[in-house]
Amino acid sequence: MAGQSWLADTFAGIMIITAAYCVSRLVVARRQHRPTDFRVDGVHVLMGVAMAGMLVPRLRVFWAGGWEIVFGVATAWFAWLTIREWMASREPRTRSAVSHPRAHHLQHVLGCGAMLYMFLAVTSARAASGGSGMSGMAGSAARFPTLALILALGLFGYVVWTADRLPGLATVAAFAARPTSAPVPAGAASYPSTATQASAMAPREDGQARTDGQAPDDSRLRAGQAPATPMSPRLAACCEIAMGVTMGYMLILML
Amino acid sequence: MTSHVTDARSGGRRIGGIGVAREESWAAPDTRRWLQLGLAFIWLLDAVLQFQSFMFSKGFSQMLAGTAPGNPAVIAGPINWSARLIDQHTVVANGAFAVIQLLLGLGIAWRPAVRLALGASIGWAIAVWWLGEGLGGILNGAGSPANGAPGAVIIYALLAVLLWPGKRDRPAPFVAGRFTGAAVARLLWLVLWGSLAYMALLPATRAAKALSGMVAGMASGEPGWLAGLDNHLAAFLAQRGPAAAVVLAVVLAFIAVGVYLPRPAARALIAVAIVTSAAIWIAEGLGGILTGGGTDPNSGLLLALLALTYWPLANSRPAATRSESA
Repeated sequence: MAGQSWLADTFAGIMIITAAYCVSRLVVARRQHRPTDFRVDGVHVLMGVAMAGMLVPRLRVFWAGGWEIVFGVATAWFAWLTIREWMASREPRTRSAVSHPRAHHLQHVLGCGAMLYMFLAVTSARAASGGSGMSGMAGSAARFPTLALILALGLFGYVVWTADRLPGLATVAAFAARPTSAPVPAGAASYPSTATQASAMAPREDGQARTDGQAPDDSRLRAGQAPATPMSPRLAACCEIAMGVTMGYMLILML
Repeated sequence: MTSHVTDARSGGRRIGGIGVAREESWAAPDTRRWLQLGLAFIWLLDAVLQFQSFMFSKGFSQMLAGTAPGNPAVIAGPINWSARLIDQHTVVANGAFAVIQLLLGLGIAWRPAVRLALGASIGWAIAVWWLGEGLGGILNGAGSPANGAPGAVIIYALLAVLLWPGKRDRPAPFVAGRFTGAAVARLLWLVLWGSLAYMALLPATRAAKALSGMVAGMASGEPGWLAGLDNHLAAFLAQRGPAAAVVLAVVLAFIAVGVYLPRPAARALIAVAIVTSAAIWIAEGLGGILTGGGTDPNSGLLLALLALTYWPLANSRPAATRSESA
């Protein structure tokens, strides 16, 4: 990737730290039965590793073409989730409970789409130059620079939108401080870092556990206990911000 | 007990997409907050543009030094001094500039830091206006509405003032007047757009080939669609430069007085201001951000955001005042 090497190293370092943190979220959530959005944390791990590899070629960990498949599938998957939730939100039953759920997954459609775009641009630039490394993607490599700019602007929009909402997310400490037998106290209500997760964590109407990638913690719910403390929603939002800025930087470099 | 039912019962308030708000600490953005977020967005874009490779080259300091000629010595001296300093420490200086702008963007977006970030952005914008833009070409006669005058960055400072979240808002028919009061905000608008109208009549814009040359120059390095658009516009202006400058001046003058007119007329002229800003932005080649060498989106985008802050509202009383009296 073209650009200052120290800057690329810095962004790559931030991405590796972010990815490592998201791995730790997945592990802790699984071991301690704490709610988190496994899909989002999982895709953050993939994005962090992939971006670090693009920024610093020696950090590449995948075979050529592998990331295109991964992010192509991820884009399609999040797009499907967006459509599904958009349709669900139109039902009067769920409309009041979950407002604008699709905004969340749109963010990941955009992120995964941007990743796919970047990898395809790298591939085409490499083919055009006959080179073999990621560093073959010079600043002018993008075939559709306007699309790169649009994706970057979309990501910056989500970064700003997420940062605005950051103080409104309850801290883990506030959530953990509530009495275990009490419902979530007014003013300290905090649940998973995503709106969709909250609805996905709810037991289904037929009483069956959900199997859509969430951590339902149904045993606690059935026992009438307060649910486990979720993984930090604020740090999840910070990961979104770090990912968005880094991805935007990479897209701008492709102009 | 489902999580969302718990939230609803406890009065928790879901923030679209990312979680649940604590009711007492977070409110959905009002019009002013959305405009602040627009400003944060542009600062963020600015920051990332500053990270481009070109900005770490000697070309960046040469670009800054290029704004000095024609300015009075008292203005040009510090510009040349800072350009030399940046030339000697390009990487550190530009890295610092980019990080500062990144922090300004994120700070405005993050509510606890909004005042600090807006205040810092005013100081930063004034410094850059002088040392980086040579006061936007106002004093050396090179400024034109089509090339970024009166300096894109000073509009950041103006927006920061107009969108300042005061402890007690004043009644105003538009968001821009909530902090300064409607009279001051109208005066600022009149001065800005009036000066743009005046500059449209100066030789830098009104000369026979001035406008077409300016627009054609912006097309260089742009993607095909934008270069084509700018080249067509330049060709159109080649034979009609002076007349187009006069028409532009008249339009800008109407916009300048628009905020003093009754609401329907004001609304129409603000809409014209937004369209004119968009046209200026295209003429500016979107600030060159698609060329890999643009430091900012230039003035067109900011003028459009500024115009939105003057959009006549249905109710001139601030939301807080309305709820108090309710």
